[in-house]
Amino acid sequence: MLAFVISVTLTFVLLHAMPGDYLHAILPYLAEKNPLAMELFRKQFGLDRSLVEQYVLYVLNILQGNWGYSIQYGQPVTNVIMVKLCWTMVILLPATLFSMLIGLAIGSYSGWTSGSSADSLVFKIMIFLGAVPSYWWAIFLILFLAFYLGLFPLGGYMSIKALDEGLQPYDVLYHAVLPIVALTLTTVPGIYYLMRNSMLHTVGQDYILTARSKGLGEMEILWHHALKNALLPMVTLMAMELAHMIMGSVFVETIFSWPGTGYLTYEALRVRDLPLLQGIFLLDTLIIILANMATDFSYPFIDPRAEVGEFG
Amino acid sequence: MAREGTLIAALLLLAIYILIAVFSPYIAPYAPSDLAGRPLEGPGKIHFLGTNDLGQDIFSCLLCGTRATLFLGFFGALVSVLTALFLGIISAYYGGRTDEIVTRIVDIMMTLPGFPLLIVLVMFLPPSLFIMAGVMGLLGGAQGIRIIRSQVLSLVKADFIYGVKAMGASDHYIMARHILPGILPLAIVMFVNSAQRYMLMGVGLGFLGLGDPSVIDWGQMISRAYSNGGFALGLWWWLMPPGLAVILLSMALAMLGYSLEIEMEPRLKTKEMIA
Repeated sequence: MLAFVISVTLTFVLLHAMPGDYLHAILPYLAEKNPLAMELFRKQFGLDRSLVEQYVLYVLNILQGNWGYSIQYGQPVTNVIMVKLCWTMVILLPATLFSMLIGLAIGSYSGWTSGSSADSLVFKIMIFLGAVPSYWWAIFLILFLAFYLGLFPLGGYMSIKALDEGLQPYDVLYHAVLPIVALTLTTVPGIYYLMRNSMLHTVGQDYILTARSKGLGEMEILWHHALKNALLPMVTLMAMELAHMIMGSVFVETIFSWPGTGYLTYEALRVRDLPLLQGIFLLDTLIIILANMATDFSYPFIDPRAEVGEFG
Repeated sequence: MAREGTLIAALLLLAIYILIAVFSPYIAPYAPSDLAGRPLEGPGKIHFLGTNDLGQDIFSCLLCGTRATLFLGFFGALVSVLTALFLGIISAYYGGRTDEIVTRIVDIMMTLPGFPLLIVLVMFLPPSLFIMAGVMGLLGGAQGIRIIRSQVLSLVKADFIYGVKAMGASDHYIMARHILPGILPLAIVMFVNSAQRYMLMGVGLGFLGLGDPSVIDWGQMISRAYSNGGFALGLWWWLMPPGLAVILLSMALAMLGYSLEIEMEPRLKTKEMIA
């Protein structure tokens, strides 16, 4: 809770300390030509009050669920963010799902057979994947699959046809393929490393040796003894990973012109849409805090050894 | 064998990059800001990788961009690791209220949305490589403080620390001479790993157009090629070289970090021998 208050305050101070405001960014000469418009604008959005007053109003409004009005969109910030968040989810959810499945599967296999040639090959491939930044995957995919081969659209979220026929789910999906692939490719290595390490530590445990000496098959041990225990530490890391991914898609969304929160952040920064930026920051902080809490509360269910009393 | 091969390959690659960064003004055929030829020329004899939309030699830009990009990674990592070492050791060594305060700060930093905050700070502060790398390092240091702290916590309880204390050594002496060497291997691995991260981040910021406009780095090269026609016309020789340079450097750092980590963590090594 304290963390939340501090991060709200910090973002407020930072964003208000930023040079330039919306009018200057969007209409550089309006303020000089027409001081009255400037004044009206400042009054309309409450920028003429003192900073303390603005801050108190801001906090009070947040607590009442009013996150302010976006200057650029002329709508409540919550509306704008919610719409964009849905679009982000369209690419984020499949990407998270794929990268988790792939990362966990390959990671546990790799950790289980550590030292084998298959493991070292997979590991090298993952080092390569992890070394390539997300923006480069995005550019690379567009250049080869969309530009040279023409298999996929260059960007955006619907084709020009949608103007006549309305939004077709299939059409959106077609546009979402490349962003999803790009996001998946960038997330898999992280999950893979964590899972492989976790598995490596599990393999060395005594109960694995016991299971083996009982004469159980390798797959049996992997499924029933190793995997469940190796997955434990993953829960914590995964929640954080997810929370960070919501913001991590800034590059991918910008390059693909995907209308999600990442692109929104970039846009809002460019035109200095302060209320909107504050809203985005607030949302990020909330998501991270919620992810933390979810992990803490779910842990006793997953691992009965972690009694509630130990949280303190 | 294979592992040592990885280590050597990574070190070699890194050495080449550093050499290029140091000597770039001497080996580049043109000054990077020179209008050396006609705009948008393809790769040829005069211009090894062609020219960009202003007629600047892409190969020269690539060589000269090495310095800024490497600097961003290494300086950012330096700031981050030094912060982590300083706060981590102090917090774990003194414990009590100091520890409480540091842990709280770290907790709060972990809940801040790191990357958006970074973008805001970079926009807000004057554009300079030093500031950019420093901000990246400070914001990214929180995780490191946690790791160092937990390591030092177990070190502080070791018998030899009690022994040294009993001999009347001062706190500063113990921290510098007995605790620091114990976590130095970890710090080195952290340094290499964060250098890779910050280098990629720095290039990313450059790509978003937030870099220092007076210095050429690969992020800005990619950004320029991306927005000024290289992308739309499919001119691969403009877009690909800085990207490949970034990937190769990032791979070298990743491989280095990985092989160092294995050297430091004997448990991983024995696993490989058994299997």
